[in-house]
Amino acid sequence: MSNYIPTIGIEVHVELKTNTKIFSSSENGYGQMANSLTNVIDLGYPGTLPTLNEQVIKTAIKAAHVLNCKIRKKQHFDRKNYFYPDNPKNYQITQARSPIGYDGYVEIEIGNNKKKIEIEEIHIEEDTCKSAHRGNVSLLDFNRAGVPLIEIVSRACIESSEEAKLYLEKLRELLYYSNISDCKIEEGSMRCDANVSIRKNIEDKLGTKCEIKNIGSISNVGLAIEKEIERQSKLLDKGETFKEQTRRFDDKQNDTVLMRVKETGNDYRYFPEPDIPYIELSDEIINSSIAELPMLPDERRKIYKERGVSDINITKLIANRSLSDYLNLFLDTKLNFKEASNLLLGDISAYLNKTEKDISNTHLTKEKFIDLVKKVEDNTLTSKNLKDILDDILESDKTIAEIIKEKGISNITDSNMLQDIVLKVILENPDSVKDYKAGKDRAIKYLMGQIMKETKGSANPKLVNQILINELNK
Amino acid sequence: MEDRLTKEEVLHVANLARIEIDDKEIEMYQVKLKKLLDQIELVTKIDDNDSDYLIAPWNNNSEFRKDEVGNMLNPKEVLQNAPRKSGNYIEVPVVISNE
Repeated sequence: MSNYIPTIGIEVHVELKTNTKIFSSSENGYGQMANSLTNVIDLGYPGTLPTLNEQVIKTAIKAAHVLNCKIRKKQHFDRKNYFYPDNPKNYQITQARSPIGYDGYVEIEIGNNKKKIEIEEIHIEEDTCKSAHRGNVSLLDFNRAGVPLIEIVSRACIESSEEAKLYLEKLRELLYYSNISDCKIEEGSMRCDANVSIRKNIEDKLGTKCEIKNIGSISNVGLAIEKEIERQSKLLDKGETFKEQTRRFDDKQNDTVLMRVKETGNDYRYFPEPDIPYIELSDEIINSSIAELPMLPDERRKIYKERGVSDINITKLIANRSLSDYLNLFLDTKLNFKEASNLLLGDISAYLNKTEKDISNTHLTKEKFIDLVKKVEDNTLTSKNLKDILDDILESDKTIAEIIKEKGISNITDSNMLQDIVLKVILENPDSVKDYKAGKDRAIKYLMGQIMKETKGSANPKLVNQILINELNK
Repeated sequence: MEDRLTKEEVLHVANLARIEIDDKEIEMYQVKLKKLLDQIELVTKIDDNDSDYLIAPWNNNSEFRKDEVGNMLNPKEVLQNAPRKSGNYIEVPVVISNE
């Protein structure tokens, strides 16, 4: 198979996190009884009129802002006409001519390089009802009809499946952190289509494009693109041509499958939606929407890095937004973020996973966490101690000092007592002592371990280390 | 300039509107639709370079609705007008999208 240059564009539909639908006051909800979240507007009854949800506009403004788009101040909606049972009005209300956002970008890091994936436009539209095909019938559920969507259209500037995946991951992270959408691909609140074409040389004109629709996960987007490039390459190698077509990715076959060939262009006969007047965005609504945005992931990464959090912990924190939000409560304190992140991602995460709780549902108040980090930092609590009392710390209103007292946790800081134990361990392990004298540093670790074992983990490790080195150097 | 549309053009429009028309009607629309299109063609000749894209002759702006849940129909009411249903779903003949 020869090498071709792929050109990829990606369209992403994202359901917006609002209380109600875009043009009606029905609830915007998921996973509820079929046809229980609708009214006459969603069902497309004649004589009904759409009313535009303010929150949709505000959320779309936020999306345009975080995706570095220009925001169009005067907009209108258009009707996209087609007959299909998922939309009984026979048209979808969308923004064909005046998308709310345009000319934006998302920056990805590929290897050590940064690349801007350009966004052509973001437009607002309504979702259609959900249809499930069963043999020779389709079953319709209108709960999804009228759920607000934004469609984010990238320029065809993506050059590999890797870039496509990085773009989608970044997009999902940004939209999720901005409270724009919950971005659950498996529930359909984020849906990806990829347009793929290939050509031999960069100066050739773009090849015939194939669209792969509704791919079920970000990793499958990568796979689908690779398979599609492979399929097109084989055809071109054989000197064959093909028509523009729509395909889908079948994860069982691990390949793209033909859905339909586009014989002619679509004939949607767009025209301005006469039921909705112009939308004019004031500076006030634009600024107040943007002001509502929480701190975005890249800024969090930067601050965590500055405060000494390790790279691996930064990645883990960003992947766990509720822990990152919790840590951000301490931005204006002097808290040791490195120690704090170790605690949050270590023992505290283990507890939260075990009990299936969110950190906000524990008794870990701000004051208590500051105290906890300090006590771990100065070795008042060893990691063994911490394991013994963590459940109490998270489940009760008592202070850590009270819990320590109650549980009889003692952290051996009596140096005479420790000295005896250190000497005992040294005498029992002459080989390790020899290793240490020969310059083998790991012998220290082994001896430390033996001492901690003797003290059942209750010795102050800093102190033990000090005494041990003293004794060994004698 | 032709004075009529082709038969295929008329059939395409009929298909978009999901209406069935017979040969006599096709012939009639070949002429009538063409006349209509010619009239619209005149409008497109107006020089509008110095004006904004206009969707309506008025300039009042959309009011927004507050994002608060209002009355909804219960599934029973939703299904009342459905010719066929299955559980809480509206049932229709299977259609494979040709969009």
